[in-house]
Amino acid sequence: MYIIIGDTGVGKSCLLLQFTDKRFQPVHDLTIGVEFGARMVNIDGKQIKLQIWDTAGQESFRSITRSYYRGAAGALLVYDITRRETFNHLTSWLEDARQHSSSNMVIMLIGNKSDLESRRDVKREEGEAFAREHGLIFMETSAKTACNVEEAFINTAKEIYRKIQQGLFDVHNEANGIKIGPQQCISTSVGPSASQRSSSEIGSNSGCC
Amino acid sequence: MNFLRGVMGGQSAGPQHTEAETIQKLCDRVASSTLLDDRRNAVRALKSLSKKYRLEVGIQAMEHLIHVLQTDRSDSEIIGYALDTLYNIISNDEEEEVDDVEEENSTRQSEDLGSQFTEIFIKQPENVTLLLSLLEEFDFHVRWPGVKLLTSLLKQLGPQVQQIILVSPMGVSRLMDLLADSREVIRNDGVLLLQALTRSNGAIQKIVAFENAFERLLDIITEEGNSDGGIVVEDCLILLQNLLKNNNSNQNFFKEGSYIQRMKPWFDVGDENSGWSAQKVTNLHVMLQLVRVLVSPTNPPGATSSCQKAMFQCGLLQQLCTILMATGVPADILTETINTVSEVIRGYQVNQDYFASVNAPSNPPRPAIVVLLMSMVNERQPFVLRCAVLYCFQCFLYKNQKGQGEIVSTLLPSTIDATGNSVSAGQLLCGGLFSTDSLSNWCAAVALAHALQENATQKEQLLRVQLATSIGNPPVSLLQQCTNILSQGDKIDRRGSKIQTRVGLLMLLCTWLSNCPIAVTHFLHNSANVPFLTGQIAENLGEEEQLVQGLCALLLGISIYFNDNSLESYMKEKLKQLIEKRIGKENFIEKLGFISKHELYSRASQKPQPNFPSPEYMIFDHEFTKLVKELEGVITKAIYKSSEEDKKEEEVKKTLEQHDSIVTHYKNMIREQDLQLEELKQQISTLKCQNEQLQTAVTQQVSQIQQHKDQYNLLKVQLGKDNPHQGSYSDATQMNGIQPEEVGRLREEIEELKSNQELLQSQLAEKDSLIENLKSSQASPGTNEQSSATASAQDSEQIAELKQELATLKSQLNSQSVEITKLQTEKQELLQKTETFAKPAPVPGESEAVAAAKTTDVEGRLSALLQETKELKNEIKALSEERAAIKEQLDASNSTIAILQNEKNKLEVDVTDSKKEQDDLLVLLADQDQKIFSLKNKLKELGHPVEEEDELESGDQDDEEDEDEDNGKDQGPI
Repeated sequence: MYIIIGDTGVGKSCLLLQFTDKRFQPVHDLTIGVEFGARMVNIDGKQIKLQIWDTAGQESFRSITRSYYRGAAGALLVYDITRRETFNHLTSWLEDARQHSSSNMVIMLIGNKSDLESRRDVKREEGEAFAREHGLIFMETSAKTACNVEEAFINTAKEIYRKIQQGLFDVHNEANGIKIGPQQCISTSVGPSASQRSSSEIGSNSGCC
Repeated sequence: MNFLRGVMGGQSAGPQHTEAETIQKLCDRVASSTLLDDRRNAVRALKSLSKKYRLEVGIQAMEHLIHVLQTDRSDSEIIGYALDTLYNIISNDEEEEVDDVEEENSTRQSEDLGSQFTEIFIKQPENVTLLLSLLEEFDFHVRWPGVKLLTSLLKQLGPQVQQIILVSPMGVSRLMDLLADSREVIRNDGVLLLQALTRSNGAIQKIVAFENAFERLLDIITEEGNSDGGIVVEDCLILLQNLLKNNNSNQNFFKEGSYIQRMKPWFDVGDENSGWSAQKVTNLHVMLQLVRVLVSPTNPPGATSSCQKAMFQCGLLQQLCTILMATGVPADILTETINTVSEVIRGYQVNQDYFASVNAPSNPPRPAIVVLLMSMVNERQPFVLRCAVLYCFQCFLYKNQKGQGEIVSTLLPSTIDATGNSVSAGQLLCGGLFSTDSLSNWCAAVALAHALQENATQKEQLLRVQLATSIGNPPVSLLQQCTNILSQGDKIDRRGSKIQTRVGLLMLLCTWLSNCPIAVTHFLHNSANVPFLTGQIAENLGEEEQLVQGLCALLLGISIYFNDNSLESYMKEKLKQLIEKRIGKENFIEKLGFISKHELYSRASQKPQPNFPSPEYMIFDHEFTKLVKELEGVITKAIYKSSEEDKKEEEVKKTLEQHDSIVTHYKNMIREQDLQLEELKQQISTLKCQNEQLQTAVTQQVSQIQQHKDQYNLLKVQLGKDNPHQGSYSDATQMNGIQPEEVGRLREEIEELKSNQELLQSQLAEKDSLIENLKSSQASPGTNEQSSATASAQDSEQIAELKQELATLKSQLNSQSVEITKLQTEKQELLQKTETFAKPAPVPGESEAVAAAKTTDVEGRLSALLQETKELKNEIKALSEERAAIKEQLDASNSTIAILQNEKNKLEVDVTDSKKEQDDLLVLLADQDQKIFSLKNKLKELGHPVEEEDELESGDQDDEEDEDEDNGKDQGPI
């Protein structure tokens, strides 16, 4: 299980929608609580079902979304490259995640909206530096153009898979968010969704990532 | 508090006062005593009083009890008592049991009491948090009352308590752990707690689902024996229902987690009719509802269809159909199963097709659809069951053109089974349509209408249906028969409401005629129909007839709106004039509005399932309400429009149609072009493929040629090293590496042979000269005798040598001829090879020419080689001939040598003989000399003179004569 977390409006729900349905919805629809999405992916020749929990980014839902950390094997921590404050809040999100999740949770840092290069407010290097400092995987994505979206989810899944093979995850403990089902599914849940503001921000059409 | 006191005051009497004092004392003890034992006893006493004196204990002790919960956590006993006491105060359950006899008034009072105490308790949200943390205590005496208390808090003031639990960290997650409790009581009460917790709160439902509730609940259900399990199974199912109902996210999770597959064993009820306990019926009922939650028509279309797919794939639908056809299933389960099957197949082609193929296990097997329809038109079947069958039929036909076609085709003349052995769906529907039971009429009409829904083809097909009414009368079309019943309905005595029949038929006709100008024409063709409709609408009838009037207006409106003016007497314009004259536009519109204003109309428009509390309410069909919504506006417009506007519109329509036709024309063109494009693309791809193949072939061949070239160059270099002069040979040798060396060797050998031959010839010449010498030497006998002997000895030696040489030459010749044949075969092989190389060489383009040129080149060289070998052969042949000649000469000389030797031998013998004679003669001479000498001496002595000279001369003469004779003899043979 994954969770997607991050400030409101950074594009969490859009990332999920792009990943599960391969489409983009420009109209911003505030996520209430959490929404569930799932997709099968192939990693090392194994079919793995990713179960993703897209969380609401609004502060008022923060307590609800905290309930989803415990059972997650991976998290996508999302910020919006056109809004610095979403980047500044990463530390608090990370603290939250580290505090409520299992220590092995794979966290991937995502700078979303890379298609809006003209309105970029957070440099790519800054994201890379933050990720390095906190031991995260980093990627810039665009839920609108689908650039790197697939990779973001699959890389996280690969990392989790690697950890499973290293024995860091106990696959028989459900609390880790991993289930070896009859279909070999690994589920991952992701925290509060940042997609809420994306609609208004999709104006320019700069290239992808 | 004052209010509470007031409530209490009304009840309280003398003895109660003392109880209040006791409670007060106990509370003081709980608050002030320093000894745990003391406090524990006081709480225990409070607990025992709490049921009877709920109000007093609640008011006075709650604060203290909460304090105990905060401070005395180490003692599970006191905590247990405190929780029990609080539970007694807050919960209404116990109260109701105890106060069974009391009036309803007091029950309501106690309910108020519970919620008021709950309000006080949760005023401090920390109290709930505290309770949550106490639930982590494993001790049974703490956990169990804790669970019960929290459950009753949730029951009292659900939303508020839910909110507090939601925001307390890990609140929900902790409660989920209760499901894993090994003590069944706690686990079961945990299920009840979660039921209360998840009631209408999406956020909590999702967290609970996230915490793996589906897995655990399904495990519990399986452990408890599925539908055979007790009330625990029911509780789990209700909790599942809470989690899934109207929660798309959770439904999605349920489906993605492959939990639908786990529902299948629930419906494995088998055929043992033994156990249909009340609990089992309830369990199955909830299970079926759970399936329906997942495929409800109100869910998002994508979600429903993916669940429907999963249900077919895992065999759940098949399992449900087995129940459908099984015997001994209780009626309400059967009804709910039909409803469930309906929604599982609704609008999903694969499942609909499967359903159409299901057969009832009767003899002969009948399609399940037919069996179900039989119960629909059977008035002895329960009403709900008939409704369910209708729903099932509707769902089967929903968005199922194939199914619609199959149903309608059972009515068409061509396919009706003449033998009449089996009843078809169409026959059943017609039977229902014209039966004397109004409910059957309505159901059959609606069912038939669904077979026509949004399907113009079937609307036209159904016009072909002819009915044989009674013997002797001509057959009547189905359409005509419907209108006949409408207009003459009163003649037949029917059970049930007459309105129901007429409404059913009118709905069928409206559906039939809408969007189908041909059907409208058929309808108008019967001149009795329009007057009947206008009569119905114009009449001023009672309220109950208003709906029928409205439907008649709708039908008339449809015949105007979808009229293609093909009937002279009932053109659009004429019908409108008719309305204006007979009814009046306003009146017509008002009557039309009666339909949607009907009280049952909005009810039916909400859900597709025909769900009526009783048969009287069975008036509207869901799909029909949609049709009314669609047509009401356009018909109103059409009626109000003037004829000019109509004409204009007609023109606009025409141009639009033209445009449409143009557009369709272009569309077709585009489609064709698309096809062509596709074809051309395919051609291109095949050509590309071919091109690639050819190119690879070319490259292969080029590389082969390159290889050959390399070989050739290599050989050239080798040859150049071996015999730099033989440039012409090296060309030929490029095809085989071994040949040049061998040819060279052969050449050398031939050279050698030649020199040998020369040697031999010179030797021969020598011998010849020797023989010559011998001959000449023999010519002078005597003196040459010795030399000839030595010469013959030499000769014989030479001959031996010659012979040897000849032998070696011969063997050399043999080996050479062998080698030559070898070379020839090799050459042949090479030639073949070059030919084979030349064959695959038809390479396109220049490379081909190059290759060909090269091969010819190579061939030329080869032929040159061949010629050379031929020449060499000839040389060899010539040499061998020469050799043969030499041999002959040798033989000849040998034989002369032999003859000469013989003669020599004879001569030698002669010589020896003549020598002996000479010796003898000499001896004789010497004797005679002696005698002569002695005689002379005697003569002298005797005195006789002797002439010595004479005597001597005569002696000499004799010798000469002898010698001559010898020489003559010797010379003879020479």
